[in-house]
Amino acid sequence: MTSSLTLSVTTFMYLACLINYLSGAIFRSRLLLRAGTAVGWAALAGGTLGLGLRWHESYEMGFGHAPLSNLYESLVFGAWCIMLVYLVLELRTRQRALGVFPALFAFLAMAYASFSTQTEIQPLVPALKSNWLIAHVVACFLGYAAFAISFGISVFYLATAKSSQNPHPKGMFALLPDRRTLDALNYQIIVFGFLWLSLGIITGSVWADQAWGAYWSWDPKETWSLITWLIYAAALHFRAMRGWRGRRVAWCSIVGFGCVLFTYFGVNFLLSGLHSYATQ
Amino acid sequence: MQQKKAFWEALYHQLASVKLTVILLLALAVGSLLGTLLPQGLSPAEVAQRFGEETARWINILGLANVFQTTWFQMLLVLLAINLVVCTLDRLPKTRRRLRHSEKQITPERLEKFSLHRELKLPGGLENLRPRLEQVISREFAPLKPVEGTGSYGAVSEKGRWSPWMVYVVHLSVLLVLAGALVGSLFGFKGFMTIPENEQSSQYRLRGEQRLAELPFTLRLDNFDVTYYETGAPEEYRSDITVLENGEEVMKSSVLVNDPFTYRGITLYQSTFGSDLATADVQFTGGKPETAAEVALGYGETVALPNGDKVHLMRFARNFSGFGPALAIAVLRQGEEPVASWVLADRPGFHGNEVGGYKVEVKQLEQRYYSGFQVRYDPGTWIVYTGFTLMILGMGLTFYSSHRKLWIWADEVVPGTTRMMLAGRSSKKGPDFERDFERLCEDIRKDLAEGEKEESNPS
Repeated sequence: MTSSLTLSVTTFMYLACLINYLSGAIFRSRLLLRAGTAVGWAALAGGTLGLGLRWHESYEMGFGHAPLSNLYESLVFGAWCIMLVYLVLELRTRQRALGVFPALFAFLAMAYASFSTQTEIQPLVPALKSNWLIAHVVACFLGYAAFAISFGISVFYLATAKSSQNPHPKGMFALLPDRRTLDALNYQIIVFGFLWLSLGIITGSVWADQAWGAYWSWDPKETWSLITWLIYAAALHFRAMRGWRGRRVAWCSIVGFGCVLFTYFGVNFLLSGLHSYATQ
Repeated sequence: MQQKKAFWEALYHQLASVKLTVILLLALAVGSLLGTLLPQGLSPAEVAQRFGEETARWINILGLANVFQTTWFQMLLVLLAINLVVCTLDRLPKTRRRLRHSEKQITPERLEKFSLHRELKLPGGLENLRPRLEQVISREFAPLKPVEGTGSYGAVSEKGRWSPWMVYVVHLSVLLVLAGALVGSLFGFKGFMTIPENEQSSQYRLRGEQRLAELPFTLRLDNFDVTYYETGAPEEYRSDITVLENGEEVMKSSVLVNDPFTYRGITLYQSTFGSDLATADVQFTGGKPETAAEVALGYGETVALPNGDKVHLMRFARNFSGFGPALAIAVLRQGEEPVASWVLADRPGFHGNEVGGYKVEVKQLEQRYYSGFQVRYDPGTWIVYTGFTLMILGMGLTFYSSHRKLWIWADEVVPGTTRMMLAGRSSKKGPDFERDFERLCEDIRKDLAEGEKEESNPS
């Protein structure tokens, strides 16, 4: 069994997970949502196995390194992080109807990874040979994963605004938690993401200091991660202002996730900078 | 006078507001975004060449090619720092007062006003219940501190008193990062130096300036090595160096990517490498009187031929117009203007390999590596790193802790029955504390009721 086969199967498991969550929400079926959770855990296990095998294979090729070194590997790891953070959140809150967006993002990341990136395992270039690689990438992706989940919660929060007078919304949103809980969950997950994004920027900064001789050089990737950080910092401060909860935090989270996507994809393809190894 | 005071008060209120914080955070986000639209660090001439005079004028006025060094961007950072300081000065005393506040009297009427409160009717006298109540609460929450009241029993219990301070730690950490960056830019320097193999140097070029500066020590590059994977991708760049002080060797070390070298606070980073010419063995045939000689020419060196003419190696091109390596050689003859020409090293038969009446043939080229180092001294780094550490610690603690307080009032309303009122408040509002409060109340009710049963039926 190879990592690429395992990861292909995992991609379809994320798709199955998405179909279950989505049809569970549309047809208001708790059974289908439960199936979504089960397939989600299975997909997470598949992703873990695939990443583990890829790690092992890189050692067999003679230049072993953690599978976090290029666009393909980071997409696979990103999907894994989204699923992990979401499933742990679900375990804590027992709210299954929120799984639609995480499953969608995980599937899209895997599909994009397998279609349009270089999938071969390659040795590390000197700039990436550092213990900071794992810490930096893991911290950033846990943050990104949390923000992806917050994006989903925010969309649900804004979409249910019209039915907010009705304590028991009908249709697709029937199985969602009430708006107060959505807002509280959104805040919790943003806080979690913000902590990890901060750690990601800090580890990146310390690493840059070691590799390039400057802990901050306003490289486009650095700058965009700071923009993301500033937006979520603003979202957290909205909570401290009277009457600015809910809607504004939700909009902030949606804009913030746009910044995450731009930091991750846009900077690589549109702006040139020091993070060039992330484009292959 | 009155107006002046009102102005300062209004300004203080503005500077102490969270609204200003949010505006500044978003303004910095927009400013940073502008800083990624154009490549940063272009000179006005380059901007004009790329975008035309008219656009360039606006780009230069707004500083779009140099956003992070512009006054407006740095003023935003200064404002954020002021906002943080004023907010802290404004709120810190309030937090202190709130935490130091000692309970005077606890009454059931007051506790009823809490959004989170519960009333219990328990069998048993207050004297019997009290030790068990204290036991349950210290086990499941925190020790109870009695509050002297009028007649009845009153007590408070609190957890996480340090939690409200943590947000100040986070804000302090942001100030430390900004302060460290300022210290670094005021008292530190950044530069670049290249050293060819087997040569020494103590000069580096300051970044953004043409000026050369001198290190307080000398470096010699003993060896540079680059290794490649089978795929052709680079695996490692490595410079072996020796530090010299007053002409004496002090230390040997190596500099690798991700593994810099620090000496006397100055750090060297492996940055670039390249190769240039060390020596060329060149055969000269011709001249007056006719002569044939092979000489070893160093880069930039002048050597005399047996007939008195001098030859000089001016320049070296690794690939001259697609014809491979070439040397620019000059011939200097007494009383005549010097003549110079390019000589192709790999094509000895080329008809143009002639300078000043000599047929020139390059026998051998010896190239050598040079290594380029980023040179940096930054006394602000440790301040920034202290800020980083405090930021993560402070964030973790402020996000995942809370100050929780419990108020209890109890009285034996009828002999043998105790009325108890509990109220709770958390610095983090939300369902978590509500759930915990309900659970605690339930535990107290069960525990005290059961304990009373056991005592009344000592079977």
